[in-house]
Amino acid sequence: MRIGLVLAEGHEAELARLAEIHGLFGVVAGTGNPLTAINAAIYASTATEFVRVVTRVRLGLEHPVTIAEEVSILDNVNNGRTVVLADTGELNLEAGLDEIAVLREALSSRPIQHEGPVWRVPAGLPANATAPKSISVTPKPAQLEVPFWLTGAAAHEIGNLSGLPVLAREPAHLKNPKLVEPGLAAISGELKSDRELVTAWAAAGVTHLFVELPAGADLGPIMTLVSRHLAPEVLMPHFPRVMSESKVPLPWPGDGNK
Amino acid sequence: MRFGVGLFGLQNTAMLPAHWAGAYRDMREYAALMEELGYDELWLSEHHFFYDGYCPALLPAAASVLSVTERLRVGTGMMLLPMQDPERLAAVSQDIHNRSGGRLDVGIGLGYRDIEFDGHGISRKQRLPRMLKGIEVLEAAEAAGGPPIWMGAQLIDPVKRAGQRGHPILFSAALPFERCKTLTKVWEEGWVGAGRPLASKPALGALRNIWLTEDPKEREAARDWVRASYVQYAGLGWTLPAVGEHEQADFAEETDKAIADTVETTITGSAEECIRQLREFEAIGIEHIAFRLMLDGAPRPALESQIRRLAAEVLPKLRDRVTA
Repeated sequence: MRIGLVLAEGHEAELARLAEIHGLFGVVAGTGNPLTAINAAIYASTATEFVRVVTRVRLGLEHPVTIAEEVSILDNVNNGRTVVLADTGELNLEAGLDEIAVLREALSSRPIQHEGPVWRVPAGLPANATAPKSISVTPKPAQLEVPFWLTGAAAHEIGNLSGLPVLAREPAHLKNPKLVEPGLAAISGELKSDRELVTAWAAAGVTHLFVELPAGADLGPIMTLVSRHLAPEVLMPHFPRVMSESKVPLPWPGDGNK
Repeated sequence: MRFGVGLFGLQNTAMLPAHWAGAYRDMREYAALMEELGYDELWLSEHHFFYDGYCPALLPAAASVLSVTERLRVGTGMMLLPMQDPERLAAVSQDIHNRSGGRLDVGIGLGYRDIEFDGHGISRKQRLPRMLKGIEVLEAAEAAGGPPIWMGAQLIDPVKRAGQRGHPILFSAALPFERCKTLTKVWEEGWVGAGRPLASKPALGALRNIWLTEDPKEREAARDWVRASYVQYAGLGWTLPAVGEHEQADFAEETDKAIADTVETTITGSAEECIRQLREFEAIGIEHIAFRLMLDGAPRPALESQIRRLAAEVLPKLRDRVTA
């Protein structure tokens, strides 16, 4: 299992940079205000080079083609590091499925011509006389296919029907785990209990766990706890703890101390 | 005067292929260079569903620039307001404005392509009422500390309405100087007609095609890049109808003539010549000049060179004049 970091609202750039420095695989942006989640992801993206930027995208707040266009810009800003965490919000199963279908079709490399129970794209409205029967949402994302994960009230039903991964909030054991099974959990900053927590998640079959830091945590020590103890602990079975508990190598004293 | 560079459309064109992710990276690097050289503003441009990936979502693009700069302002020139939910747009803009220390300018326009409306499920017939409702929402946001509103318009009535509402205009680079002068007067009539003193008006802005060079071959190339950059508007089907005294420039039906007329708006020549022409804009109250340098066919070394030359040889002279 790999460990990522949940970014606190308003501190995305700083925390994403820290996550990258500490070797974490990814970050989650936009867990605060759903309207400004893509802004949060942009700030996390331009502060980093490597981490995956999982971006909560609340459905039902804007036309899905507009959202797809924003996601594509994000994916080009971060050169293909975007993962969409589609939050079903207030949508029911049918509306959620249809909106996700539009989003994924719009982000594909084919033109879109979608007729679903909720959305018709292009709309084919009489006043738009010269509009064609299909459109191509551009620019295309930088990556071949933007990964979609699910969260929210309708996530499990949509996940069952679509096969998309659902973000877990509890380490319930997975019966038929997919190759990607994301989870999200809060840590305390106390080594023993946090180690037990992430170990339980890994044992349940989760592949990517995002940890939420306690409010007001001292970032230096807690990020060291994450990167030195928790992340290695779950990257291999039977992690030899001597690797994280032995004496820390001395820092370079610098030219001035020669 | 204040100076910017635009219009960033982040395209990968048939004439100048580029990776889209590279275009977004390049824009951040241009922004850092512009900031270092003393520019004030960077302007973005929006279209949808075009083969070249013309940027369809200006606020994420603006945020990407603002997140890596400290002083440069970023403006949307223009964001097509009727195609978006104005409440959401206001919230997103306000957040970017806050994150960047108040450096976002929200320029808004109406849009004109059927395909762009239809792709977003909006009837073109609804564009004016949606625009008016959207402006009210953004005006309320601006009054509460949100980003300043700019407007894109080039016909008499919309320009006058912008003046009445108190929003500065960023004039198109396709408009000749005399047309800008006429429209500035129209905007001022709107401003004064709404009961405001002329002396309190904000500075207006204009995009200008410009290339500082004494070399005839470089001048010829630059004018050809301007030509190529307007061919894309022909491809987009831009139509600017004839209204009143304004001569028709219909890219759909009179492509060659319209493009040739627009190329003639280009300011080229020595630094002295560029300064002389820019002072004419300053004299009529257009004090924001956005150099329209992102031209189809212009390679990055040429653009960087031009951004540096204009900063070194033109900006200081015009800034000195304001200071004096």
